Amino acid sequence: MSAAAAVAPAPVSMAGPSPRADASPGARWPRALYVHVPFCLSACPYCDFVVYAGSAARGPRSLLPALAEALLAELELRADELERTVERPTGAALETVYLGGGTPSLLAPRQLGRLLEAIDRRLGIAAGAEITLEANPGPADRGDPAAFAAAGVTRLSIGAQSFVPVELRRLGRRHGPADVATTVALARSAGMGSVGLDLLYDVPGQTLASWWATLEAALALAPDHVSAYALTIDDPDVEGLTGPTGDHLPARPGARQWRERARAEQDDDRAAGLYLEATELLEAAGFAWYEISNWARPGHRCRHNLVYWRRQAYLALGPGAHGFDGARRRWWNAARLEPYLAALLPDPGGSPRLPPGGEERLDEGAALAEEVILALRLSDGLDEERLERLAAMPQLSEALARARAADLLERNGTGRIVLTRRGRLLAGELFAHLV
Amino acid sequence: MIPQERIRNFCIIAHIDHGKSTLADRFLELTHTIDPRQMTSQVLDSMDLEREKGITIKARAVRLHHRARDGFDYALNLIDTPGHVDFTYEVSRSLAACEGAVLVVDAAQGIEAQTLANVHLALAAGLVIVPVVNKIDLPNADPDLVLEELENVLAIPREEVLLASAKDGTGVPEILEAVVARIPPPRGDAAAPLQALIFDSHYDAYRGVVAHIRLAQGTLHQRDTIRLLATGAISEILELGVFRPGLVPVERLIAGEVGYVATGLKSVRDARVGDTLTDARRPAGTPLPGYRPVRSLVFAGIYPVRGDDYPLLRDAIEKLHLNDASFTYAPETSVALGFGFRLGFLGLLHMEIVQERLEREFDLQLIATAPSVEYRVTLTHGRGEVIVDNPARLPETSDVESIAEPWSRLQVITPAAHIGPLMELATNRRGTFLDLQYLDPNRVLMRFELPLSELIVDFHDQLKSRTQGYASMDYEEAGYRPADLAKLDILVAGEPVDALSLIVHASGAVAQGRQLVAKLRGLIPRQLFEVPIQATIGSRVVARETIGALRKNVLAKCYGGDITRKRKLLEKQKEGKRRMKRVGNVEIPQEAFLAVLRSDQAG
Repeated sequence: MSAAAAVAPAPVSMAGPSPRADASPGARWPRALYVHVPFCLSACPYCDFVVYAGSAARGPRSLLPALAEALLAELELRADELERTVERPTGAALETVYLGGGTPSLLAPRQLGRLLEAIDRRLGIAAGAEITLEANPGPADRGDPAAFAAAGVTRLSIGAQSFVPVELRRLGRRHGPADVATTVALARSAGMGSVGLDLLYDVPGQTLASWWATLEAALALAPDHVSAYALTIDDPDVEGLTGPTGDHLPARPGARQWRERARAEQDDDRAAGLYLEATELLEAAGFAWYEISNWARPGHRCRHNLVYWRRQAYLALGPGAHGFDGARRRWWNAARLEPYLAALLPDPGGSPRLPPGGEERLDEGAALAEEVILALRLSDGLDEERLERLAAMPQLSEALARARAADLLERNGTGRIVLTRRGRLLAGELFAHLV
Repeated sequence: MIPQERIRNFCIIAHIDHGKSTLADRFLELTHTIDPRQMTSQVLDSMDLEREKGITIKARAVRLHHRARDGFDYALNLIDTPGHVDFTYEVSRSLAACEGAVLVVDAAQGIEAQTLANVHLALAAGLVIVPVVNKIDLPNADPDLVLEELENVLAIPREEVLLASAKDGTGVPEILEAVVARIPPPRGDAAAPLQALIFDSHYDAYRGVVAHIRLAQGTLHQRDTIRLLATGAISEILELGVFRPGLVPVERLIAGEVGYVATGLKSVRDARVGDTLTDARRPAGTPLPGYRPVRSLVFAGIYPVRGDDYPLLRDAIEKLHLNDASFTYAPETSVALGFGFRLGFLGLLHMEIVQERLEREFDLQLIATAPSVEYRVTLTHGRGEVIVDNPARLPETSDVESIAEPWSRLQVITPAAHIGPLMELATNRRGTFLDLQYLDPNRVLMRFELPLSELIVDFHDQLKSRTQGYASMDYEEAGYRPADLAKLDILVAGEPVDALSLIVHASGAVAQGRQLVAKLRGLIPRQLFEVPIQATIGSRVVARETIGALRKNVLAKCYGGDITRKRKLLEKQKEGKRRMKRVGNVEIPQEAFLAVLRSDQAG
């Protein structure tokens, strides 16, 4: 960057992205927005997303109203920043908005409506856009799906996790299997266009039979989309993500203990069997596999998540949220709520500032590796054009050749290189050679 | 300029943790050799590895200026010595530069095997011993018992022994006084032709080869031209000086002094340790007695994890060798590991240290193969004898008339309660018991003979674990003896991996094969396909284990838009893979090549 460029305001009419400090060459105007709502009634011990639970999430000392205000302030600042750094194509509007958490269904419909209105006013929401809200199924935290639909939500993603009561309790979930059914029914009757269920496998105490019961119960509710994630116990403290400007919160001691015990009960062989079982059942029920952990009925792929995997630009709001400029810059807000609110909701007389956070700039090699790895996670895989570009990178193409020989990759009917079924479970072996 | 009669050259002999470094630190403080503000602990152990492991690896020297109680100023040259069993070679070099040695024994631990061996070396070299019982401040100190030991084992009268605590400084001035009073000054005519012994050397990017010397006779001036008697190398010196402990130039060094010479030579090979340095214009006729040259006892292949790093490894070994000639090296190739080097070491700790220095100081990732001793193999039909230090190079059975293996003589000092377990340990390792001597009512000195190959594996660890850490050991070479040996080969996924081959005694070969295969099964991670591991002797499979195929390795969690974290987690996996060697289709971690050293098997 040059100092002059950082001071002089870029003329709006300038062709192409202007060379500003906070954009990387090739940066794109985002068509996707992620909003993080970091509140849950209670925190589940396995989850390491940014979450504040208990009195912060409800009652007289709830921080939800403050967050809703802060998100509006951040929206303005982020949009200003974008306008300064990236050329906005004519008629650009958001194709997807994703409210994740935490438990975004804790937002009052009024708060949500105001937020979506502000987003539409500032960035535009395209006609037919996908607007996803994550919801917990419990009666106290699922909110009012009809009111959400009225506010503009088109897709409800429900954190079902399991349909086996003992597993739900072990996971620290507050809901029962019947709550999931109720939530789906409410969403349907509200006319929600798409309903997804999130499930977890490799859960302590899980058996093939109990997993089968979970899958059957989920299918019986006729969702449009199913995500089956392996319970994965990472350690954000060890990964160095929990410092003052880190994008994760330190693990609570109770969660740490829980994770140690749970990890001891996990088993990769069992997990592989459970995954293959899910593949069979879901595909037999008319769901098409489209990403390592995701299946959808035709027309119901999560368009927002596809943005991540296709390495397109996305904007982000909220503590711990991650954004990407579509080229070489990934950035994030720090996890901690207090500094986030303090920056965006200053005392009277002050003006809002962008919250603390971090960023990384990718070099060409890292960007290309990301592109390949993310693309291979999808059933679309790598097309001819990408393969040709990779041919010039001996290390990447060698790793791909070895993976084909080891039956991790195959060429599908349309000439694309995709993961085999076995490869979906062993993708890490290939990806670790690609980064 | 301090006259010769007020010079004292001495070293400290002590077991690990008996307080040698602390005592040296006190000497430096008392004599104001080091500015107190720059005082770090263990000043002389300047290598990171030395501080971490609490041991001295390289001999080092420092000159202390001391005003004694007689009112005169003395120059005391302290030559630091390594204290570990592997470094007897370095010790003998230091001893040759001294007239006396301060013997430090821990008041709570008593004398240890290595210390005993070094005192014997010192006595044989004619050194005066100044005995010190250290750490008398410890609550469990028992100086009387230690005094009894010194009397019994070394015939040192109690009246001669000084009591001290290097930690709190008690008795330390008295030690310096004793060094002055009891250790004789060096002799040697300062006017005679120059004879200086090189007792160590190091390479300095600015000064070239810096020889650490002790002048036996003659005088060395700045601007002299020197000659090395063994190599014949001639050079104008760049600088001479003393160790304070940094290099401090002086005008001249006289007979009896210890100092350094920046030789201007470019290779340590030209100024070998043990060589005699003289004045090129007025050379001495005869060299000083040198040392027995360094002899490697343990050999291992060192390979880069990534084949591309071979040129870096070659440079690294050459550079390290400039500074540390105590290991030997020669190129070798392995079918499994590609191009590498066979290195010879003084012992197993030495091997570990050299490997760690190569990895740390040159940022390399290395694989060390299982260590081997040097076998003498007599070929059939009178075709003579070959030396084999790499099991993979053992000739075919049909070509072998007989094999002889090196033996060692071992002395162990242990609390008497552990005699039984140590007897058992030595016997299980094909050892024979020689004799036993009580040092005091509670501690004994035991002597054994056993094959060196049995000693180098994990004998020291076993010795420590069977005696709660109380026993200490020392060993020396004891010649070659014929043995009934066999080569054990390992096949991974059907491919022989030459770097895993071992030469083992025929009687235990099958059991060892089973153990090794079981260990490898635990050390090699699961691969994309099933991997059988087999041990063979000749064409016979004696053991087999199978590593099941890996079934799941995928980041199947919702990381949302946090691609950064996902990539970092993959990069961590990649780092793990980079530390593994791909042999055929199998990724083998570094530790697997040293599986044979793992002490999870008794005796």
